[in-house]
Amino acid sequence: MTGAGEPRVILHVDMDAFYVSVELLRRPELIGLPVVVGGDGNRGVVAAASYEARRHGVHSAMASVTARRRCPDAVFLPADHQRYAEVSAQVRAVFDSVSPHVEPLALDEAFLDVTGARALLGEPIEIATLVRSRVADEVGLGCSVGVASNKFVAKLASVEAKPIAAADGVRPGRGVVIVAPGDEASFVAGLPVERLWGVGPKTLARLHDIGIRRVPDIVEAPPGLLEARIGAAAGAHLRRLALGIDDRPVETDRTAKSIGQEETFGSDVADLDAARAELVRLADAVAARLRTSTLAARTVTLKVKFADFQTVTRSVTEGAPLDTAVEIVTRLEPALAEVVSRGALRLLGVSASNLVEPVRQLDLWSSGTDQPAHDSADRALDEIRARFGRSSIGRASGLKPRTR
Amino acid sequence: MKFRCEREILADVLATASRGATNSGGTSPVLSGVRLDVADGVLTVTGTDLELTIRASVPVGSDSTGSAVVPARLTADIVKSLPAGSVEVELTDEQMMIRAQRSEFSVRPLALADYPTLGEPSTEPFTVPAADMADALRQVVRAASPDEGRVVLTGVLIAADDDGVKLAATDSYRLAVRDLPQGSLMRSGDQVLVPARALNEVQRLLGSAEEMRVHLGELDAVFEIGDVRITTRLIKGDYPNYRNLIPASYPNTVTVGRDALLEALRRVRILAQGTTPVRLLLGADQLQLSAITTDVGEASEHLDASYSGDEMTVAFNPEYLAAGVDAVAGDEVVIAVIDPMKPAVLRGAGHDEYLYLLMPVRVP
Repeated sequence: MTGAGEPRVILHVDMDAFYVSVELLRRPELIGLPVVVGGDGNRGVVAAASYEARRHGVHSAMASVTARRRCPDAVFLPADHQRYAEVSAQVRAVFDSVSPHVEPLALDEAFLDVTGARALLGEPIEIATLVRSRVADEVGLGCSVGVASNKFVAKLASVEAKPIAAADGVRPGRGVVIVAPGDEASFVAGLPVERLWGVGPKTLARLHDIGIRRVPDIVEAPPGLLEARIGAAAGAHLRRLALGIDDRPVETDRTAKSIGQEETFGSDVADLDAARAELVRLADAVAARLRTSTLAARTVTLKVKFADFQTVTRSVTEGAPLDTAVEIVTRLEPALAEVVSRGALRLLGVSASNLVEPVRQLDLWSSGTDQPAHDSADRALDEIRARFGRSSIGRASGLKPRTR
Repeated sequence: MKFRCEREILADVLATASRGATNSGGTSPVLSGVRLDVADGVLTVTGTDLELTIRASVPVGSDSTGSAVVPARLTADIVKSLPAGSVEVELTDEQMMIRAQRSEFSVRPLALADYPTLGEPSTEPFTVPAADMADALRQVVRAASPDEGRVVLTGVLIAADDDGVKLAATDSYRLAVRDLPQGSLMRSGDQVLVPARALNEVQRLLGSAEEMRVHLGELDAVFEIGDVRITTRLIKGDYPNYRNLIPASYPNTVTVGRDALLEALRRVRILAQGTTPVRLLLGADQLQLSAITTDVGEASEHLDASYSGDEMTVAFNPEYLAAGVDAVAGDEVVIAVIDPMKPAVLRGAGHDEYLYLLMPVRVP
């Protein structure tokens, strides 16, 4: 840990169009084309879209039918979660070689606290550039890096570093965006209020009610007004964020009490298949983080927020500790079906707690085979089928790019 | 119908037969009762859940003949709580009176007409010495699966070949196999799959007996021990082939005192909470046991042992390991290991008639 007066150096590294980029590594002939990873059946959901596809308004969690309508030329590929987890582990290895303080947020993004690495690796700009070039050289993928003195501002900064999918073409982004210590407040001041962490449509409407539209309006709001409208704790929280202040430490999974992942949807999800696809994606990310940290969970929890902002959680604790997406999905599926029947979802979250060593009682009739690899091959298959239906796996190998 | 019996004796037969009447709250209320039959001065008490039937007989003072079904648990509890001495039971269609000294209970019987008809064994019995069978069952039944979802594994396979009779049970994590010398139990090539639950009852009764009569039918097996008869349905289905699971050779074997290992395991298990395995560190003339539960603590035990093989760590479910060590005969247990991912074998030193095969727990 660093001294009290010394600003921290936090990197938020976000892979560029991760699933799609992984696919392009093995299908370079598709580079430059609109590519969509996800189910292309009637009920399929987009898991990821290339920047070329995003230009046409395609985004993740969108129904594949809609994506097809918006971008008829797009090449649809089935998701290969096993592969994404493997590549994610390679990226993680690069992070781990830069700093021992890595907090993964998903398969494709992580915080790195590199405060202690400066003596060895140089100035923040040099460290950020090093991470980008090493990920490019060693894994072959692009990423964007936000650098700041805290997690909140670093994450906002990485968005500014991203490639831009404009109507007239895809432009490379800045790659690295650094917010120098002291500049946090002015950086945040230029952003719309809904970019602040915790400001959803409901809070946004309340802020609009009291005339707050820009971030500086929060700072300048008379004491008590903000708090009266959205609550004391949320008000104090927003005032700090509006000044670019965030004291949360970079927390490694190894030291965490739980590992979780959640997603707020662009539009509410009412369809069970779409919700299930999101569950699989979140479970996949949580499971990958468990395995990376050599942990397994005895408890898994589903969290949902309904369109009316009511939040519900459902936990399952049973059987052997688990560390695969299939096991998490199997345990949480009944709860998901139940909550989806109650109303459209605005947010879905999966978390793993009660963390223990990933031990597994071996079975007499599986001995002699390389059990873990055997398991994961099965699981990869199961996961694709669980997500895209049983027929999808048959189509995958015979899939032809639709390049017209 | 009316009979008289010593409280101790009556309580005992009621308790024995009640262990068959486990269908409380089932579809047929009459199965929560035991059937009482008195004839020729003998009381026969029967409890059944249709899968397992336990029938116990005892001489009583009576010149009447009759039958009734009475609540199993209630009747057993009443008789057990009576003062020592003679108990008188009088049954009419409406009630059962139980009297002893100055105590008097009246209990409403269940519908005799609804009680299922239970057949008599149709095959000729074989006689086997009780001690051999008791020992074999003690060693094998523990490895059967309690999971009704895998019915075949809830049974114990009893199979005869030219070399003798083999008893085998597995829950797919461990396997117990015991050889019995060829007697007259079965013909070579015959095999039956007997529910472990029934054999547990057999085992309870064998301790006090000299010998046991066994009838093996197509659908049922009947075990007669003294005045108790246990009838069980046999399990249908193909038992998995376990013979090819038993490795031909083991490069690493450790020999350690059985009681010392059991004691050490008992202590280490205090810290092996939840799914925590116990790790065995095998090295030159030493066996080290350890268990680590995250955020709780750790335990370790050192034991004198003779070891030949490579240094390695193998982890096991402590409950399964302790069950295996407890099952082997003799003062010393031999644990043979291939590697941390392959099955280990436990045997009693010099006791080749029994083996306990156990799959390790994979640890990171």
